[in-house]
Amino acid sequence: MVNYLIVLFAVTLIYFASAERLSTYVRLVALQGLLLCGIAVFELKEVNLANLLFIVAETLLFKTLLLPYLLSRIIRKSGVTKVHRQAVSGFYLLLFSIAGLLISVILAVILVNPFINSIYLAIALFTLLTGLLLIVTHKLIISHLIGFLVVENAVFLFSLAIGNEMPMLINIGILLDIFVGVLILGFFGLRLKPHTNELTMLKD
Amino acid sequence: MLLLFFILSLALSGVTLLSRNRGLTRAFALAFSALLIAITVHAWINRGNTELTWFTYDSTAVLLLSVLTLLTLPTVYHGFIYTRDDTVKRLNIYHSGLIALMTFMAGAYLANTMTVLWIFVEATTLAVAVLIYHDRTEMALEATWKYVFICSTGIALAYLGILFLGFIYGRGDAPNLSFSSFSHVISNANPLYLKIAFIFVLVGFSTKMGLFPMHTVTIDAHSVAPPPVSALISTTLMNVGFLAIYRVYTLFSGTPALSFMSNVLILAGVLSLLIAAGYMLKAKHLKRMLAYSSLENMGLVAIALGVGGYGYYAALLLIVLHSLAKSSLFYQMGQLSRILHTFRLDESGRYMKLYPAGAMVLMTGMICILAIPPSGMFISELMILRAMVVNGQWLVMALTVILLCYIIYAMSTRIMHVSFSSPRNDSELLQPGMVSPVETVSQFILLALVIMICFWQPPFLTDLISTSISSLPR
Repeated sequence: MVNYLIVLFAVTLIYFASAERLSTYVRLVALQGLLLCGIAVFELKEVNLANLLFIVAETLLFKTLLLPYLLSRIIRKSGVTKVHRQAVSGFYLLLFSIAGLLISVILAVILVNPFINSIYLAIALFTLLTGLLLIVTHKLIISHLIGFLVVENAVFLFSLAIGNEMPMLINIGILLDIFVGVLILGFFGLRLKPHTNELTMLKD
Repeated sequence: MLLLFFILSLALSGVTLLSRNRGLTRAFALAFSALLIAITVHAWINRGNTELTWFTYDSTAVLLLSVLTLLTLPTVYHGFIYTRDDTVKRLNIYHSGLIALMTFMAGAYLANTMTVLWIFVEATTLAVAVLIYHDRTEMALEATWKYVFICSTGIALAYLGILFLGFIYGRGDAPNLSFSSFSHVISNANPLYLKIAFIFVLVGFSTKMGLFPMHTVTIDAHSVAPPPVSALISTTLMNVGFLAIYRVYTLFSGTPALSFMSNVLILAGVLSLLIAAGYMLKAKHLKRMLAYSSLENMGLVAIALGVGGYGYYAALLLIVLHSLAKSSLFYQMGQLSRILHTFRLDESGRYMKLYPAGAMVLMTGMICILAIPPSGMFISELMILRAMVVNGQWLVMALTVILLCYIIYAMSTRIMHVSFSSPRNDSELLQPGMVSPVETVSQFILLALVIMICFWQPPFLTDLISTSISSLPR
């Protein structure tokens, strides 16, 4: 079951490369949160109930509900519906994404380790590459925000891979990361002009 | 004692935010300084001891904590001056953020596990964001956004590096990610994992250290941050990033990944020098120029670590001296902006005539930061070059010397212009401000310490640095 969820998670990442509407991006972020919740529930069998509840609450409340809500608010406020400012065209983005998937799979095979499931490793690396790709290839600030959230999901997926023996400290780390995510979305997302790329005042 | 420090510091940060009286806010900031001095004395007395499981007073931590403590009072003092025209609310936010930032930095220095260190580094991002946004301008918002966004992405990457360490360790041992327990099992680890973990940690914490390729974030932050905050970002906060990279480097130094790490550090260092030299030659903003100077020095530190041998000692000495010299220059920027009303080079000039004490700080600081004798930084840079000669790193040495020449030319011509020439563009020249020369006292003291190191290194300093590098290969 976990493997199906992880593969579904990978599909959402490929969808990111081909989607053009910001609302699709938001739905994908919410879906990723839900999938991460499912993966956590099925994977973390050895952790105590309190810890599991904490992780489920993190994924459901923050990743599936709060962050997509904040993103939707920013999009509504800006009035922009399409990701029409990419540094590279959608076709090349899709090619890059598939290349990223291949690189991730090759790396996961090279890095085979008795302590970690290779599928986890491959998809987590792919998530990281997709997040960085979204940040680098898109011009709108809102796309950068979504790229950052995808990178955060990569971190979460990695940490789930060794989650059974994870101390509470790592959960605090994840929570702190989400806190920064909320800060970025809630504060800067609303104060900056998220539908533009007008970050040009500071330069040499 | 440490628990008390954290509780009291965070409480002081909280009550400062709620204070309705300027005097009370300042008293809280001073009380925090006293608290930091107390915990530093405690750390010196208890060197090598562990407290609260996750914190150890090891030599490197004590060294960097002492640097932070040394800079606390001047930073608080210059902060008082910078915020004297602010509303009570903004004064409170500033000092609350400052107290929180210094507390988190102290926590990061003392942390003995990567996870705790990472949490404190992440926390410093939030605290410093409040301080960069202090002036509430559009530029400040842009710089803060860039800082939080890039730092958070970088720190997420660093976290991946830490998780890779977890994979090396195996599930059963994952909770014990402390530096000391790690060193026992690291020799059996797959070198490929170590290399990947190091790359993630280096790139991630470069956002804090201000090293290539994540240097842009701190450069932009300097353009708008209040000068006393710039002084901290450029020194003690960079030291936090350095410490995180240094901890992992030390941990892996006994493995086959050592040569890979050294090469990566040298490459990052040389590229940092190249970027710094290029941008300093076209710098038009004084604070940005100083920020590029920090990039140059962090590049030298990375090269020193990569070269090894004498370089290890030189790297730590350079970190300490750079903190003292650069902070005094940034404090001076606060006074310069009150005299000249600008940081733009084209609009600056005649500083020696308008404010001789400040111009003397600029000149002395320039000599110190460029490692020109009698600066103590000359000793550390000489040691780096010596290490290159001993290890036969001729190409790196040639590149370093050439780039340093460019940097010396770029910085000295600009500081000379500000001190002695007339402004190139004086159409919008405002009436020069008035600043008391007394404000430069703390800057002269810090620069005097840097010069003193050229002639005499106190035994406690050499002992602390030697102990810090004792676990590195000779």
